[in-house]
Amino acid sequence: MNDIDRFLKMSEYVGNRNVVLARDEFERFLEENVGSYDFVHLKCLDRFNKVCEIQKEGIKSAIVEADFAIAETGTVVIESKGENLRRATSLCDNLSVVVDASRIVPNLEGIADFLRETTQDSENYVSFITGASRTADIEMSLTLGVHGPEEMTVYVLK
Amino acid sequence: MKRVYRDINKALSDEVLQQNLDTFYHNYRESHRKAYEGLNFNDLRKEVGVIKSLKPEDRFALFEEFKNNVEKAGAFVFEAKDSKEACEYIVSVCKRHNAEYVVKSKSMTAEEIKLNPYLERNGIKPIETDLGEWIIQLAKETPSHMIMPAIHKNRKQVAKLFREHLNVDVDEDDIEGMVKIARHYLREYYFKAKVGISGANVAVVETGTIGIVTNEGNGRLVTTIPPVHIVVLGYEKLVKTFEDALKILRVLPKNATGQIISVYVTWIKGAVESLNSSSGKKELHFVFVDNGRKALMDNPYFNEALKCIRCGSCANVCPVYGVLGGHVFGHIYTGPIGAILTSFYHDDKKAMELLSLCCGCKACSEICPANIDIQKLISDIYGGLRFKYGVDKLRSSVYSGVLSKPSAMKRIAKVGSLILKTVEKNSHLNSCLMPKKHDFRVLPVPKEESFSSLFRKKFEALQTTVKSEKTVFFYPGCAIEYVYPEIGESVVKFLNKIGLRVKIPEKMVCCGYPAVHDGDKISAKRIINESVKYLPVEESFDYFLVLCPTCGTTLKYLFREFVSDTPREYKKVKFVEEKIVNLSRLLDDLNVKVKTKNGILFTYHIPCHQNRGLHFNGEKFLKSLLPNYYMPMRDADRCCGFGGSFSIDYPQVSKAILDKKIENIVDTNASVVVTECPGCIMQIRGGLLKRNIPVEVKHLSEFLDEYVEVE
Ligand code: SF4
Ligand code: SF4
Repeated sequence: MNDIDRFLKMSEYVGNRNVVLARDEFERFLEENVGSYDFVHLKCLDRFNKVCEIQKEGIKSAIVEADFAIAETGTVVIESKGENLRRATSLCDNLSVVVDASRIVPNLEGIADFLRETTQDSENYVSFITGASRTADIEMSLTLGVHGPEEMTVYVLK
Repeated sequence: MKRVYRDINKALSDEVLQQNLDTFYHNYRESHRKAYEGLNFNDLRKEVGVIKSLKPEDRFALFEEFKNNVEKAGAFVFEAKDSKEACEYIVSVCKRHNAEYVVKSKSMTAEEIKLNPYLERNGIKPIETDLGEWIIQLAKETPSHMIMPAIHKNRKQVAKLFREHLNVDVDEDDIEGMVKIARHYLREYYFKAKVGISGANVAVVETGTIGIVTNEGNGRLVTTIPPVHIVVLGYEKLVKTFEDALKILRVLPKNATGQIISVYVTWIKGAVESLNSSSGKKELHFVFVDNGRKALMDNPYFNEALKCIRCGSCANVCPVYGVLGGHVFGHIYTGPIGAILTSFYHDDKKAMELLSLCCGCKACSEICPANIDIQKLISDIYGGLRFKYGVDKLRSSVYSGVLSKPSAMKRIAKVGSLILKTVEKNSHLNSCLMPKKHDFRVLPVPKEESFSSLFRKKFEALQTTVKSEKTVFFYPGCAIEYVYPEIGESVVKFLNKIGLRVKIPEKMVCCGYPAVHDGDKISAKRIINESVKYLPVEESFDYFLVLCPTCGTTLKYLFREFVSDTPREYKKVKFVEEKIVNLSRLLDDLNVKVKTKNGILFTYHIPCHQNRGLHFNGEKFLKSLLPNYYMPMRDADRCCGFGGSFSIDYPQVSKAILDKKIENIVDTNASVVVTECPGCIMQIRGGLLKRNIPVEVKHLSEFLDEYVEVE
């Protein structure tokens, strides 16, 4: 299985909705749908970016770009030095994450260099996210959205 | 009644607890297996074990480097020599910021220093944000599991707590609804709190970055929203590189909850941007808690325990935890590793009590992702504490005066046999002699004639007529020698049938395990040194057969420790170690084929010390031997609750564990339970008899002798 398929499989395993799109398809999708997001933070298509103030009430939805993804675990990796970005991914009900297929590394060790580089010389905050916020603290019954997002969608751009 | 017995009885009669622990045990085993599909767990955990084994001087050097790196990134580092200093420091930070509330994400180290009560005494309100921790906090209890702190509660109890404390209307069946309430309620506090407190799962030295693992996402909010972040941690969290940290993160969630990875892993380096801080920057503090760690760092036992990555899985598989939960089998740290850590961080008496609850099944050692031989640590530390506080005089004299002396042992067995036979004939005597709590199984009566004596009479001469190249040296062990000589006879007959010659020790001396398990190291040394005298010499045998895997495991792994100061004995032991086999292993090696005589359906109970001591799980072999007659048993490798003196010291616990085994046996519909350990036979047969369940329990050797023909 290649890294993209493996990533998709693992991401699905944790309950994410996964969509594979070509870059121009995604762009068209955004043009039509960007209005439905409260917060947009994309490096590849920054003309769509949108910030908003995020307080305890949270926001409905955010779409952000991941720096990397990990095939082994279905994880997206987001450098979140800015607090607004952290708040957006922590306090939205629906989280969408975009990742370029070329940024998928095969396994956990594959992300070590990125962690080293981003934390070498300055302060930083890097998040691994693998699915919606979940708990099983009451009778081991799996429940989503305990503190953070209730749903997660991943767009893989080919 | 001693408090511990009261607590035990309370736990055993708590239906919610029993139900939750049982469900958890099963779900866990299954999801753990799935999470590691396609991976080599043993290789992974060995690697983690190496990463976490650091020499004290290396650990101190790592600390200096970490400190330097985080200070450069604007953080403060404080070393607290004990809990009080740690709490004082944290309170002073909170007071400086006029914090009325602090939000916390789960930290065992914060539990260790009893931070919450300290904060409260100083007028600061700590709010636990992990749902389980918060439930426990509302209930004013302590966590009963490292990962699932509220595992002892059910939805109705949680609903009641919410109703009482939050003044809300709660549907007691609606778990999702309760989670929503928690979300709403706790969200407020992230924004009200001036300070967030967390632990760290790893502290990566190379750049001074910590990694925090959560599923709920509370860790991200605690470390993001308040302007101040305090990290409470021990020196054992330090690892050199990100590669090391990621290797730990690969096993931690798999072992903790059977997840491939936790939902959130948060990496924090230094004082990042903070919107709620007047300076625009986060104020970040690291509080390293010593609490005796530094002084103990060069202690081999402690250093081994420091490898722990707090996954909680040793509790998940522990049969004792599985019936008692973490409020009884735990202090602050719960479960097997909790018993060990209590001896380091808390008081001796509590530690002794917890350590004595271990029945020695080794399930914890087998599951630990940091490759800690937890059971061995428990046994060694228990031995040390028993020595310090004086071992039980009566037991000690039995170990030293009887078990090491075959002639005394024989005499006692004979007298015991006579007494017990009289008792057996007069059943009223039986219930007078047997205190009620011990009356959960029918115990066997020692035989008047020992196995060795029978062997010399009936079989020894025959051995010269067996035409075989191969000789099996059979070590009967006390149970077969005195209680079950018929098991010994059956194995001799069967081995002769398949053309193997059998020898036995000139004198049968105990393997010393009862003394080892009871922490009586001096008696153990005496017994083992005597036993070694009668071990065979090199050229005289091909296999060293044990029908009791506990004897086998003791011979294979512990004898050498006790004779390490006498080189000749050490060599002799090393040679024997290599040749030790249990019966299914031997027959598997020899590729023995059989067919059934009477079509009887059987199942197999895997003895703990065979599977996790001698590392041979006979299940596969038994299944391949008679595939059409073999009925698989659920949790076949779960302990039966015997554990030698454990079942005498804690009969209620032993019974509770046995109950589960019997349930699983009955469910198989088999007429015979086959196993390979006299201890398990004693326990399971006794339990079935007591309950009038018509299922036979046979040692594999008896089963083969009675129910199969060799092809
Ligand atoms: S050896 Fe068995 S009983 Fe003892 S602590 Fe480990 S799992 Fe529990
Ligand atoms: S001792 Fe091992 S199994 Fe137990 S919590 Fe620590 S790492 Fe996990």
